[in-house]
Amino acid sequence: MALVHGFPLPAALLAAATLWLVPVRVTARPPATGAIRGRVDVVRPAAAPERRPNVNDLGAAVPRELADRQRAVVYLETAPRGAFEDREPARARLDQRHEAFVPHVLPIVVGTTVDFPNNDRTYHNVFSLSRTQRFDLGRYAAGHSKAVRFDRPGIVRVFCDIHSHMSAFILVFSHPFFAATDADGRYRIDNVPPGTYAVVAWYEGSVRETRSVTVPERAAVDADFVIP
Amino acid sequence: MSVTRFAALLLAWNISAAAAAQAIPPAATTYDDGPIAFGGDVAVTFGSPDPGWFDFTDYGVSALRQARVSLSGAWRPTPRVALLGRVRAQTGEGVETAGLYVRIRPWPKRRIDIQVGRIPPVFGSYSRRTYGADNPLIGVPLAYQYLTTLRTDAAPASADDLLRLRGRGWLSPLPLGARPRSGLPLVNGLRWDTGAQVHVGSARLSGAVAMTVGSLSNPRTAEDNGGRQVAGRVEWRPTAAWIVGVSGSRGAYATRSLMSAVPPQATGADLLQRAGGADVEYSRAHWVWRNEAVLSTWDVPRVRVPYPTPRVRALALASEGRYTIFPGAYAAARVERLGFSRLTGSATTDTWDANVTRVEAGGGYKLQRRVLLKAVYQHNWRDGGRIRAERLGAAQLLVWF
Repeated sequence: MALVHGFPLPAALLAAATLWLVPVRVTARPPATGAIRGRVDVVRPAAAPERRPNVNDLGAAVPRELADRQRAVVYLETAPRGAFEDREPARARLDQRHEAFVPHVLPIVVGTTVDFPNNDRTYHNVFSLSRTQRFDLGRYAAGHSKAVRFDRPGIVRVFCDIHSHMSAFILVFSHPFFAATDADGRYRIDNVPPGTYAVVAWYEGSVRETRSVTVPERAAVDADFVIP
Repeated sequence: MSVTRFAALLLAWNISAAAAAQAIPPAATTYDDGPIAFGGDVAVTFGSPDPGWFDFTDYGVSALRQARVSLSGAWRPTPRVALLGRVRAQTGEGVETAGLYVRIRPWPKRRIDIQVGRIPPVFGSYSRRTYGADNPLIGVPLAYQYLTTLRTDAAPASADDLLRLRGRGWLSPLPLGARPRSGLPLVNGLRWDTGAQVHVGSARLSGAVAMTVGSLSNPRTAEDNGGRQVAGRVEWRPTAAWIVGVSGSRGAYATRSLMSAVPPQATGADLLQRAGGADVEYSRAHWVWRNEAVLSTWDVPRVRVPYPTPRVRALALASEGRYTIFPGAYAAARVERLGFSRLTGSATTDTWDANVTRVEAGGGYKLQRRVLLKAVYQHNWRDGGRIRAERLGAAQLLVWF
């Protein structure tokens, strides 16, 4: 039997046919990405909005949780090529707890569905009038949740129609190169292709600082921000 | 500067400030998370003329044609003590300290509050709506606004006096006492009484009792008859969806000058107003549904035949619904009936004041989160008085902060 590179011919033909039928998986070298990491130091965190005094009440209001207003978001102003590829739909969560939205700032990528569970004894009515996404979830009780899918990039201010002091930000990005700071103000954006980028520090509704950062291959570059 | 002009200036300033804040995502007005908090609203209402006086309040202005600026504040120097106040300026009134009281919470972890000063009313549910946006419509419910022919400083001498004046509460020339002026609503929803109040409760069940110097229909800053009013309310919240409340009050409403003008044998020691109320609120998803009933009786003197009944009665029923159509827009309606007990006069038997039915429907649209535009259509029917039916329209621009 003739051999083709040592294979019996029928087997070689079968293998060749299979190569036509099955998409070729090119084992190209993965792109050598880097990371941006650092710390955002918020010198004077924004105060949580006080309740509007309900002078008609017969007694004092129940205690509430003050949302963590230290969190900032760091993101790339312009995303590298390939950042807009289709991704698996993601899911995130914005709690309503002790008359506060937790977290106060939620960065997500386009296509993410956000759940809004109510963990209070009282009703909440989550809504937004933002141009990016208008919605009104109506009133629902503790233990129940409603969800909204965010399909357009932008900033969405979220409020409660019953408790005017409750507010949150949802930042909807069209690329995955963003991170919210943790309790210590630290952040890390991974898988960034090498290159030079404008990195933005965003806090409480506005861009506070933009800085040019060059990301090397297979290494992390530090970028710290101070928000006065 | 008139209240209307001042309100218009404030409106313009608020709207322009809100518009500027929208350039980047609109930030909520923030206050220091300290012991001081402020809130308020500015409302300018344009409506049809109201020649039938259906919507007039005891301030002498129509609720559908007025400008109002109100500012509420709270100062909490310690967890146990807070000073709360409300200043209001509205057409026909000027600037008034509508409320000013001290709230004491003796045990910070227990829900027991003592309030002393010019305190919020414990009676009913509508009184608890602090800000303009809490009223989905523009008109005030009949029980809290409509002026009956009874007065604190004048009284009828006979049943005929009341029957003659049916439907004329805006200017009630009762023969005993002072010169003509407007009559009393069942509950004065705009003025607060002065006294002390205790509130005890849990998240599910709460109750409040107050002792004040005025009466439900005539709250006062200083006593004018030596009497005291006792009022109370119990509120039950079985689930987040339901609020069920019952209220009651009893207090002297006639002034000392009226009592001196009435022959002693024609009345008891005091002329009392007694009232009971029940209210139910149910809300779910995009619906809010509120119902309220207020029954009030007033003692009236029996000076001349034909005598009126010793007590005259009024019953107000209201049902209100609100539905969110889409984000920022809602539709609302309220149906009301105010009925009065019957009296027999020399020539006729009729209700002592003209029964009133009101339907108000409309809606609101949030131009921005803090800017609400309301529009309503209101139809009133009355079975007495010179004008027996009236169709009114009104629009209101309301900015809150």
